[in-house]
Amino acid sequence: MEPIIHIKDVHKYFGRVQALRGVSLDINKGEVVVIIGPSGSGKSTLLRCINRLEEFDHGQIIVDNIPLDSAENINLVRTEVGMVFQQFNLFPHLSVLDNLTLAQKAVRKRSKKEAEEIAFQLLKKVGIPEKANVFPLQLSGGQQQRVAIARALAMNPKIMLFDEPTSALDPEMIQEVLDVMLDLAKEGMTMVVVSHEMGFARAAANRAILMDEGLIVEEATPDILFTNPTQERTKLFLSKILD
Amino acid sequence: MEHLQTSPTLKPGETFEQQKKKFDRWWFLVFGVILLIIILVFLEPDPYQRIVLFVSDGIGVTVYTTLVSFVLVLIFGLIGGLGRLSKNRIINGLATVYVEVVRGIPLLVQLLFWYFAFPSVIKNFGSTLGIESLANYRADPLLMAILGLTFCYSAYMSEVYRAGIQSISRGQMEAARSLGMSYVQAMRFVILPQALRVILPPVGNEFITLLKDSSLVSVVAVADMTRRGREFMAANFIPVQTWLMIALLYLVLTLVSARIVNWIEKKTRLER
Ligand SMILES: Nc1ncnc2c1ncn2[C@@H]1O[C@H](COP(=O)(O)OP(=O)(O)OP(=O)(O)O)[C@@H](O)[C@H]1O
Ligand SMILES: [Mg+2]
Repeated sequence: MEPIIHIKDVHKYFGRVQALRGVSLDINKGEVVVIIGPSGSGKSTLLRCINRLEEFDHGQIIVDNIPLDSAENINLVRTEVGMVFQQFNLFPHLSVLDNLTLAQKAVRKRSKKEAEEIAFQLLKKVGIPEKANVFPLQLSGGQQQRVAIARALAMNPKIMLFDEPTSALDPEMIQEVLDVMLDLAKEGMTMVVVSHEMGFARAAANRAILMDEGLIVEEATPDILFTNPTQERTKLFLSKILD
Repeated sequence: MEHLQTSPTLKPGETFEQQKKKFDRWWFLVFGVILLIIILVFLEPDPYQRIVLFVSDGIGVTVYTTLVSFVLVLIFGLIGGLGRLSKNRIINGLATVYVEVVRGIPLLVQLLFWYFAFPSVIKNFGSTLGIESLANYRADPLLMAILGLTFCYSAYMSEVYRAGIQSISRGQMEAARSLGMSYVQAMRFVILPQALRVILPPVGNEFITLLKDSSLVSVVAVADMTRRGREFMAANFIPVQTWLMIALLYLVLTLVSARIVNWIEKKTRLER
């Protein structure tokens, strides 16, 4: 089977800092991949290269067989790839409903009615249908992140990228967001998740990856990677986050 | 004028809804000044009523010049501001040079340039090339004044826009782009609506400064309030009454503007 995300030997520099030093990774349709690793190891950068929020300097990334060579193709890829950020990044000047319909109307060219129907379905799916007319800053962090997930899903993406979706949340709100993500995984969504939530990784991920200093250090099923890693760097990292 | 703008701040225990409905007490100052003008006009029609009648067309010219220039400034300032933020070196360089040059030259000198020097350049150009219409070019004072004000104030306004856009967190642009929106769509639907709220106070401030600076167009043959005041004084030799009345009329205009800015600011507050 053709991988839906094909990453080959990607290098990325920020000035003199080398954030990625030759990352290769193939992800199949329906796969859930969790990426862990120390701060500054390039996890976010890799995710952001997949939907071209970041340009890279060398290598190749092909998403859903669309070559990323023109501005139109980049926008096309971005509509296929949803992204969820650590800081939610909801549009604070728009109601929850408008947050969900804006890009549907502007990019997918859906009618207001159609966009709103989809929005309401998704709000129901993430468990907050009653918040449609509220403004984002009136919601709790967990609710905001669920709205952000719904906003990305409204574009009918084939792939969802999550960059530490629960790191900015109070502990009691983490599970409600993870539950939404678990549902998505069960439905067969292709997901790339940067997160240190081991419970989620074990329950949902097909593969777990450890990155360090811009490289993929180790790759295995979550159970093996977390309990029986082969690489020293993985052991070191796990011992740090486990206590 | 910042001291008169008195931005709405919340009192402890007050909600935004309550504050939105609350009457803005600074309107009393506006009414006070208007009342003073009315009293003067009725108690001493000579000279005050005569002054007001004489300069009344100038009030219109001042308001018109200010409003037209300001609308243009809002448009060109945005273009300049986006230019200043552009990653394209040429566009960025042009915008920066424009801002720096304009900010380094007094507005009065710029207005004199547009009214006297610019048409003369056009004329020379026309006669050298033998283009009849350009050689006989005559500058319309009002048009040149509006051009001059717009050219100058757009530079200042582009800095206001730039700061406003930069104050919106990068995540907003990234979220919009990651949903597939183009740069223009993201600017239009996500960044600018937020930036405009942020820059409303400085934009209002620019408007009021522009209103006052529009009095400078009186030296380039535009019959605004100030110029009409000078004409009245030249004919009647009563400087104290003339300039008192002109000052009061400007004050009404600026105070009303400040209240309107304040009102818009309250209306467009983000719910949180
Ligand atoms: N916009 C940027 N400009 C300059 N350097 C950057 C930028 N973004 C990331 N970097 C650098 O690139 C490296 C990788 O950063 P990245 O954000 O991908 O790490 P990360 O694994 O996501 O870390 P964290 O767990 O802290 O989020 C770091 O050294 C970081 O300082
Ligand atoms: Mg990161």
